[in-house]
Parts: sequence; C-alpha cells; structure tokens
Amino acid sequence: MVYRIADNIVSPLGETTAENYQAIKTGSSALCRYDHRWQIPEPFTASLFTEAQGRALAVSGLTRFEALAYASARRAIEDAAICVATANTVFILSTTKGNIELIGQLSGDDRPVYPGTAARHIAEKLGITTLPVTVCNACISGVSAIILGMRLIEAGQFDYAVVCGADVQSKFTVSGFQSLKAVAEEACRPFDMERVGLNLGEAAATIVLGREKPSADSWAILRGAVRNDAFHISSPSKNGEGARLALSAVTKDTDTGRLAFINAHGTATMFNDQMESVAIERAALNTIPVNALKGYYGHTLGAAGILETVLSMAAADDHTIIGTRGFAERGVSGRVLLSSENAITCKHDFVKMISGFGGGNGAILVGKEEQGKPCVDGNERGSKRGCTIRQRVSVTPAGAFVNGRKLETTATGKALLTELYKCYVDDYPRYYKMDGLCRLGFIASELLLQAEGHREEAPREDWAVVFANRSSSIGADKCYQASIQDAENYYPSPAAFVYTLPNIVTGEIAIRNHYLGETSFYILPEKDDNTIAMLIEAAFQDTATKYILGGWIDYPDDAHFAAETYIIMNDER
Amino acid sequence: MNNELILELKEQIIQALNLEEMTPEDIDTEAPLFGEKGLGLDSIDTLELIMLIEKNYGIKLANPAEGKTIFKSVATLADYVSKNRKK
Repeated sequence: MVYRIADNIVSPLGETTAENYQAIKTGSSALCRYDHRWQIPEPFTASLFTEAQGRALAVSGLTRFEALAYASARRAIEDAAICVATANTVFILSTTKGNIELIGQLSGDDRPVYPGTAARHIAEKLGITTLPVTVCNACISGVSAIILGMRLIEAGQFDYAVVCGADVQSKFTVSGFQSLKAVAEEACRPFDMERVGLNLGEAAATIVLGREKPSADSWAILRGAVRNDAFHISSPSKNGEGARLALSAVTKDTDTGRLAFINAHGTATMFNDQMESVAIERAALNTIPVNALKGYYGHTLGAAGILETVLSMAAADDHTIIGTRGFAERGVSGRVLLSSENAITCKHDFVKMISGFGGGNGAILVGKEEQGKPCVDGNERGSKRGCTIRQRVSVTPAGAFVNGRKLETTATGKALLTELYKCYVDDYPRYYKMDGLCRLGFIASELLLQAEGHREEAPREDWAVVFANRSSSIGADKCYQASIQDAENYYPSPAAFVYTLPNIVTGEIAIRNHYLGETSFYILPEKDDNTIAMLIEAAFQDTATKYILGGWIDYPDDAHFAAETYIIMNDER
Repeated sequence: MNNELILELKEQIIQALNLEEMTPEDIDTEAPLFGEKGLGLDSIDTLELIMLIEKNYGIKLANPAEGKTIFKSVATLADYVSKNRKK
C-alpha cells in the first residue's frame, strides 16, 4: 500500500494546503479577467499569481516555473520530515509546458525549455539525488504522476516519491487554448447549461508518497488507471469510452458505497463535461455526488490532477463535498449529481478523474483502508516477471532497422520518414499532418506492428503505448511560437498548438490501432536505459496491460531524431 | 466562378493544413472538404481554416459553427470569401 505522507499547494489562493482548502471552502476564487495581458488581443479569465506573489516566490538561479514547483515541493518535504538525499527517493514532476515561456528567448541552445532540465534544477535544489522523471501526459499528467509514484513504490524501486505538479501561464499557452476556441472570457461554469469554455490557472501542488503508514488513518492511493479513447487527439469521444474504462478499472470489485464523491475534471468546455457525465453514468457511478474545482483555480494543467486530489483529501477529512463554483443548471446529458453548494458527507473515499489531449483519461481511487482489511489486495497487482521483447525497431536520420535488419532506403533526415511512410504504410494521410515527433513514433509503430505480423481491427484494452524522450515537443513548440511571435502577424495556429504536447504521439498510435489501454509519455534529462526499463515495467503493474508498444522517441530537430522502440509482452497474461 | 481565387484557396489550404503531397489539381472544387469523402478534414482543420480566411482575407468568424456551411467545399468557400473579403 502506498500512503500520503505530506502534501502542499502553492496557488494564488495560498501557500499551504490548509490556506487553499479554507479559501475554496468559503467560496473564494482567484479567477480574474485580463484584457491585454501578454499582448494577447482577446480578453480571457485566468487564475494568475500577482506580481507581489511572484516576487515572493522567486528563487535565485531558478526560472519562474521552477521556483513555483520548488516552493511547493520544499514545503511538502519539510512537512514529511524525511531525508530525500538518498537513493530511496524519486522526484516526479508533472507539467505540460514547464519553461515554455522562455521559448522566445532561446539562442541556439533549446535545453532551457526541455522539461527534464527544469526537473533536474528543481530536484537539485531540493537535494534529491536520483534521476528525476517528468510526466508529460497533457492534462492528465498530475494523475499519471501519482500513479507512477504509487507503482514505483509498490515495485520496491523507491521508498518515497515526491510527486509535484506545476504549470505557469504565458502568451504561448493562453493563445494556444484560445486558438482552439476553448477559453472563456468570463469565469468558467463546469457542467452548466451556459458553459462556454475553460479558464487557465497557475499553481503547484505536491504529494509525498511513501510505503510506511504514517498514522492510523492515513490516506492511501488505492488504485490508479489510465485508458485512451482512441478517438481524436484533441476531442474526447462521444461515449467517454476511455474515461469509463479508467473509472471501471479503479472501482471494479470495490464497495462504491464508500465513495464520498467523484472529483471530475470539469474544465467547463462543452465536450469535456458532456463526455465525463456520460462516462460516469456508463460506469454506473452516477448515484455518487460529482464536483469540479475549476471555478476556484481554473485549469492548472500539469498541477490539476495533484492539486485537485490534495484538495479532495482535505475536503473529505473535513467531511465536506466542495460545491462546484460556477455551476447552476445541469447542461450535460449524463445524469450526474452536482451542486454549487458545499455538502456534508460521512464517507471518506473518493475517485479523482481527469481527461486530456492525446485521448488520455486517468482515474485514481483514494481512501483510508479499514484496519486489517485493505480495500485492494496488493497481490492482485502485476509484476515484471515473464516479459519478452517481441520486436525492435530503431530509426535515425541515417536509416531504419527492424530487428537488426536495415531497411533499404535512399532518403536521409526528415525525408527518410516520408520515404518509409510511402514504402511501408501509404494508406494513412493523417501522417502528413503530424509533427516530426509524431511522424517518428508513428513510423516506428507501423514497422513494429508489421514485424509482429498481425493487426486486429477490434479495440484492445490490453495494448498500452509508453514512450520517453528528452526534447519533449520542441519542434512543434517552435512551429507554434512562430505563429504568435510577431505582433503584426499574430495568427495562433490551432493545428500547430495541438502538437505542442509530446504525448499526442501516443494518441496518434492509439487512434490508428484502436488501442484503449494506457498511454503515457515521460521525459528524462538524458537518455537512461535503466530508467526507461523501470518506466515500462511500472506500466505492466496495470494488470490489464499485456502488450506495450514503447521505448525512446526523441525529435530535437530534423537532423537528430532517434527512435529505439519495441513491442514487449507480458507472457503471464 | 472565380478560378483565380479557387486556385489561390487550394494552394493556401494545402499549405495551412500540411497536405504536403497534394497539388491544387488533386482537390475537387465541388467535393466535400470534411468527413470520410474528399479531404477528410476534422475540427482542428476547421479552426485552422477560420484562421486562414482571417489572415489572408480579413474575414473574422465569431462563431466557429458558421464554418460548417462555409467550408463545405472549395466552391462554397470561394463564394463566401469573394462576398466578404476585406483585403
């Protein structure tokens, strides 16, 4: 069992979990309308740190983003009163865009905006000595990061995981969501009839997880699952299949009568909230109260999954279901129980659910196990025993290899990928819309599956897609930045923006192959085969996963990409 | 019909939507741009096309839902642009 040792939230509403919880319990919100912030022509509402708050958080040698994450993680570690400078502690950073606000100032060296660079700076400042892992799984990153922390501790890799989620806002992110017509000018209205879109927010939240139970009534992360919709890279499926599967995975064979509430993603976009309501109803969980916290903080991106889990624990400890600020009248077809008012509950377990770009959906079951009667039998969980690598594909600008055999090609660099597409695929024109990272991952996956020899048309929940890299989505980031850099020629490109999340490649592969299993994307400060192997093994702890298509896919630029990918099978399933 | 505008729009669509391997001749002026037939464009492409007509012709679409009728085919798009262009 994996327990919550300590936690923290740093947001415009406060610097501790207690301050934040008291603020939202009394209905406070940091949402505020901005009319010309960052020279963005269209007005928007967001939850941003004030200049004074920003100055108070500043740390010499760290960027604004790094200092925010550091502030939260440092406080949580202090509360946990553990020594983190040992091989027993891992730092897991959850972020969607990290230091992206620096992209306009790069001079030749792209590394300052790589999320792994930020993770290393934060970890070093915290005194954590092991290699940090960044989870870059779009909006579900926070929940994915908690699940990874849980798995690494359960597998015995570490005793403690400092799981920190953070994002700051900038012209890059706000204009990008505006280009997708997803941002509301006014405060967001989750699940409401009148909802028109989301608000973005800045925050950092941290949970320190550990194996040792700190006290008799400690919170435990009981289960976690990630499932893909295999529908679209930026729209959730109409029937919420991925979210339903994730909800079912974490509640199957448990007493759902113990659930106080489901904390939904509830971004207040038309499609997200509608999809979640359908998924909750289809999972037969619609007798349980649902709430959403975006009306207090906006969508805090990489922080959201952790921030909302921490607040849900504080609320359940206070026997309270926090009201959904902004909600008035149900505007979704799924019959879910929502209220704008706080309510009292005597139950203490809850489910946190979340969905995001790339088609990913995450859910965790968080609760307090009964004395001597754990909710979930630890032995049920999977192990790494009996895994076989079935196929290997590597691709670099110089050529492609399938199980060690070099494919005959003439092109080099970026053109090599298109040559491979024409020669070995040729029936999937979406290829031409993909950015370099997605093309690389897509071609590698096609070659792997051709080597495997059979493809099934039916949706598969037992196939997962798990990749890691170093340069995140830098190519797409630069492409999108070019569309907003010049104030005279400011036309934010939605097609470019959607690819500025590296996990989109996992969604592209899931869509192509109808994979409903886990999709995850991790970023490391440098390529480290042991860590990659550890992440792949961790994914097999989800007992639904029989096959993983994954490995390393890095695309720093058209002349330096590298894929080292494989299909790996768990023989015991 | 304005053939010059139609050719111009086809070139812009190919560029904006990264339809690298296509030429203007490959796009049927009357064929649907969205859905299974035709170019098989999707919701992000609609937004990209909205940006395209704003950038190149100064036409601002307040409601993305209007895009559905305007972007039915290159012919309907050309018709709309010729009637509403500001530049």
